[in-house]
Amino acid sequence: MTEPRRTHHVTPLVTVVRAAPVLIIGVFVYGGGEATNVLGGLGTGGVIALILIGVGLYAFFSWTRLTFFYDDDGDLRINSGVFVRNERRVQLSRLQSVDITQPILARIFGLAELRPEVAGASAEGTKLQYLSLEDAQQLRAELLAKAAGLRPDEGATVDTAPEQVLVQVPSPHLLASLVLQPSTVFLLLLVPTMVAIAGVSGVWELGLTGFFLVIAPITVVGGQFLKYFGFTVAQSSDGLRLRFGLTSHRSQTVPPGRVQAVRIERPLMWKPWGWVRVVVNVAGATGGEEGEDRPSVILPVAPLPVARALLQQILPGVDPFSVELTTAPRSARWRAPLQYKQLGVGATSVVFVTRRGWLVPKWDVVPHARTQSVRLTQGPWQHRLGLASVYVDSTPGPVSVAALHQSASRARALAHEQAERSGLARRLAGPGQPESQPVDAVNDRLAALGLQQPPERSEGNGVEKLGGV
Amino acid sequence: MSRDPFLPDERGWISVNPRLATARRIVVLGLTTIGTLVVVIALAVGDRAELGFAALLIGLVVAGWLWWLIGRQVRAIGYSERADDLLVVSGIVFRRLVLVPYGRMQLVDVRRGPLERYLGLATVQLHTAAATTDATIPGLPPDEAGRLRDQLAALGEQRSAGL
Repeated sequence: MTEPRRTHHVTPLVTVVRAAPVLIIGVFVYGGGEATNVLGGLGTGGVIALILIGVGLYAFFSWTRLTFFYDDDGDLRINSGVFVRNERRVQLSRLQSVDITQPILARIFGLAELRPEVAGASAEGTKLQYLSLEDAQQLRAELLAKAAGLRPDEGATVDTAPEQVLVQVPSPHLLASLVLQPSTVFLLLLVPTMVAIAGVSGVWELGLTGFFLVIAPITVVGGQFLKYFGFTVAQSSDGLRLRFGLTSHRSQTVPPGRVQAVRIERPLMWKPWGWVRVVVNVAGATGGEEGEDRPSVILPVAPLPVARALLQQILPGVDPFSVELTTAPRSARWRAPLQYKQLGVGATSVVFVTRRGWLVPKWDVVPHARTQSVRLTQGPWQHRLGLASVYVDSTPGPVSVAALHQSASRARALAHEQAERSGLARRLAGPGQPESQPVDAVNDRLAALGLQQPPERSEGNGVEKLGGV
Repeated sequence: MSRDPFLPDERGWISVNPRLATARRIVVLGLTTIGTLVVVIALAVGDRAELGFAALLIGLVVAGWLWWLIGRQVRAIGYSERADDLLVVSGIVFRRLVLVPYGRMQLVDVRRGPLERYLGLATVQLHTAAATTDATIPGLPPDEAGRLRDQLAALGEQRSAGL
């Protein structure tokens, strides 16, 4: 057990400053007058001061009561709570990622919030708020080193692992990509249309509404731009590092092998530039506050070759674009007339790949060893057309893998094959072992079971290199 | 191959207990009856007895249809324990087949509500790390539910390798 440590001593002050605007507005809006009467002529200022002192005291005791240390097993313990004590043990072998966030206020004070993420745990109670930026970086390096199996000596400082910057998204690209999203373009086209209709019909309220609609895309694009500003992806021995954000700076680390599924999407308007976006599912705290806290977007926009190179870092030897995809049968165009031509499904010995989407064509990739379960579904319309869909379930996140509207018999075969592959990928890996297995072994097993191996174009699928979670 | 992708392979589906239909009928028909009665009484009080009679007829037809539908739905539910995975099939119009490899199960729940307890039924639900899995087998006799849970847990333990 190491010496208990505390968060930075300025923390209570930051908490109070952060809460102040809301409280002050609250007092003004909700019966500040009544409270003043009850408290006997304190005046609104007095009431505010009283509340702020209360908040300050609570913040102070929260700070004194929050300690963190390493226990005898080398895992991180966080004890917190003023009235209700909360003792959390962060099992480092289960560490999914470590985030450093700098909300604008913390940034002014040179502080940062550190959030180690463990599968299944809620974000509350695990975050260390606030540390100095330097301490936060140091602690993160320490946690990741321990999670990676290194046991640094007591007290010795762990250097942040050296990194190699893979991608930096230029701001003009980011802005252009956000403006060229289907939703933004739709809203931007809606405005002149409504104004024109208003002009013709003389209903000027419609034009006014249309004019106000301009605000929506501006806020969305602006918000996303600030959020992903200066997006940098770097590779280091403790995983993939993501840094982004203008007003609120974030820094996320995804340890190697924690990515459960990958989606590459290419909105229609991005095609001339050859840009794509890469999002992933990372096993971790389910949802968090608004699902914002897990890494999901690992590349907001980049040319395809860059995205492919990045994919090699996440899933070595996997290239979804070289997998031969089976397209949907012709009858599928009656069920999905728009995306019919995009529909496709394929598999290598390591991953399952599907393609779909009309305005935003997407390639979804899930390693067999990460397949949680498989669903085969058929609606009435599909039944009539002799179609069925196969869904491959991954951990919660933005990526969902679906082979839509394949022929019924093909879908059935796909579902059973995928369940089989998933089971094999697990068994060969063995309990608790990192899931690396020679492809040949899988192929042999599949052949022995009489399952046909889908044609495989990708090369160099040597070893699947994914650590166990 | 047949056009029906939901046919079982070697050993066929194990059906669930028909008492599940009874349980569902009690719930659904209870609600339908209450709904119909409220409408009928309201119309009768409001001196529109002829409309009340029509509402009663509609209520009866809906109830009969639900009675029949629930029977078919329950008969459509089936499961199969294979060497490496569990299969659960359900639905008539919107059909679903869920395949869960044993090694992927995170936990197995057995649930028994008051009505289920009264009728001697239990529900087994499998959870994986994916929220979308949704493999639920309702209408099992408690012994079978217990056996299935232990069996699945044992198999899951054997094959498990993390997430």
